[in-house]
Amino acid sequence: MADGVYKKLQAEVEKYTRMQKDVSKSMSARQKLETQLTENNIVKEELDQLDSTNTIYKLIGPVLVKQDLDEAKATVGKRLEYINGEIQRYETVLKDMEKKCEQHRELLTSLQQEYQKAQGMTA
Amino acid sequence: MAEKGKMNIEHLGGVFRLREEHEKVVKDCESRIQHWKKVSGDYEALNERLKTLPDRLCYDIMVPFGPLAFMPGKLQRTNEVTVLLGDNWFAKCSAKQAQKIVDHRMKYVKNELDELSKTRENFEARVGFAKDLETISASKGDYVDIREEVGNNDSAVAKGKQRIAHKPNSQPKRDAVLDVKEDDEEEDGGQGGDGGGGSRRGVLTEQELWARLDELEKLEELQEEQDRLSDNADMNGEDTSTSSSEEEKEADAAPPVNGVSLKPSWSAAPRSKASLSTDRKQADCEEEEEEEEGSCLPTIFFSHTVEPKKVRINTGKNTMLKFSERKEQKEHSKRKKKNGHNNGHSHHELHKITTPADIYRVFVDVRNGEPVPRKSILKSRSRENSVCSDTSESSAADFDERRVMIGRSFSHDEATHSDTSDGVTEEDSPVAVPLQPTSRFEAFSGTVIEKDPMPSGVPHLTISPPALPTILERKQEEAPPDLVPPQPAPKRVSKFKAARLQQK
Repeated sequence: MADGVYKKLQAEVEKYTRMQKDVSKSMSARQKLETQLTENNIVKEELDQLDSTNTIYKLIGPVLVKQDLDEAKATVGKRLEYINGEIQRYETVLKDMEKKCEQHRELLTSLQQEYQKAQGMTA
Repeated sequence: MAEKGKMNIEHLGGVFRLREEHEKVVKDCESRIQHWKKVSGDYEALNERLKTLPDRLCYDIMVPFGPLAFMPGKLQRTNEVTVLLGDNWFAKCSAKQAQKIVDHRMKYVKNELDELSKTRENFEARVGFAKDLETISASKGDYVDIREEVGNNDSAVAKGKQRIAHKPNSQPKRDAVLDVKEDDEEEDGGQGGDGGGGSRRGVLTEQELWARLDELEKLEELQEEQDRLSDNADMNGEDTSTSSSEEEKEADAAPPVNGVSLKPSWSAAPRSKASLSTDRKQADCEEEEEEEEGSCLPTIFFSHTVEPKKVRINTGKNTMLKFSERKEQKEHSKRKKKNGHNNGHSHHELHKITTPADIYRVFVDVRNGEPVPRKSILKSRSRENSVCSDTSESSAADFDERRVMIGRSFSHDEATHSDTSDGVTEEDSPVAVPLQPTSRFEAFSGTVIEKDPMPSGVPHLTISPPALPTILERKQEEAPPDLVPPQPAPKRVSKFKAARLQQK
């Protein structure tokens, strides 16, 4: 009796740890996106400070590719939009995952109680 | 974010863990602050460099050549800088522009530093709080107990909700009670008397009732003397059978007894035969009171007026019956008075008080008159007239039959009776008045009609008539009082006489 419950508990705990890993992964991904967002914001602001006399380069691989200022601004703007979208997507995903985690945690606590009861019975 | 999430999760863990996490956050903030400080220092150095860079056309420098070697070289185009904007974006710009960009980044770094320092202070405070918690709750058991109490509170909250649900019901009840008290028991009269309302009123007015009873006894005595002097012809043996029983009952029921029984009588009186007798007695008492008022106290008058109105208002048919009963009762009372039965009179007064049910009915009628739910004041007046006519016409007629009818009417729905009675009363009223010009009944009807709407309801409700309502009644009835007194006397006398005759 206690062993069965224990195995179940172990399996559930593994599942829970996996879920936790997923959560932390998406969390880190989201944080990356956050830093990228701030970086691109800074780039945009600094591009605004430049004028047409300045030449803009984009580092692609090992090569610096010359870019037009307006073009660079447009691409940076698009990049910002994309990053914002990604952040929102991750936000929803994270919420879902946290909900699941909460439910799983409750299940774990109930299982733990069951296990303790079983232990008490055997003891 | 992750840290905060962990923080929330670990808040549940315990004070120690809470403090640890807070300290972690603080440490993290400090490391970040260190990082940003370094960055800002670098930017400051860069800014300095950019300032001085364009000062010369070319610099002799050692150029790093791979990780290990340096080569001597010259730095030319000192005013041309390629700036990494971030995200692999580069921009070729002058030293001045580069300085601008550096300033911009410095601002950003400053913001970051400020925010970090703020969060650090925040979490330092939290750490202090956690430490306090640790010290305060040296015994963690207290903390656990508090949680249990919270659970109890939740259950209590649930109870509270249920109570809230009840509260709406209870409030209306309270309101209804207040209304009943204030509105002169309209509802009770219409419904034949609610037990609850009657009991409340009785409780409130017991003392008042007793005082009232004493007054009524005195008044009855006075009336009896008057009746003896004036009304000798009214004494008839018509009502002997019924009156005798009633008188006996009245005599048996001492004034205090009646007062005690007032509460129950209110609820049950209207439909039972006993209630009928009590009603009659009340009517007699009212009449007596009116008579007495003419001589001494106005309060008595009010009560009389109210009762007739009650009867009329409650049920047209009933009113008719009641009136007839009243006449009979008046006759009985007159007889009794003539005979000198003070006790019987006092009992009648008590009955008046005791028959709060009748009063309720009257009140109800009054209320109806005010809100005009069932019958208007005019109708009640018409009923009064009709009653007078009835009394005049049938005063000498079969009292027993009338009583029986009254009893039936009480038991039956009053509304149906009221309609019929109204029509009859209106038609009969004019005729009745002329028929009995000298009789007290006529005077009574007129006075009753005027007084009924306002004063009658108030005194009956309180049982012990408040000073204000009584005064009003007197004022209203001032014109008719002379007529009123004569009517009640003969009726009462008739009852007494009848009772005596029956006994004999």
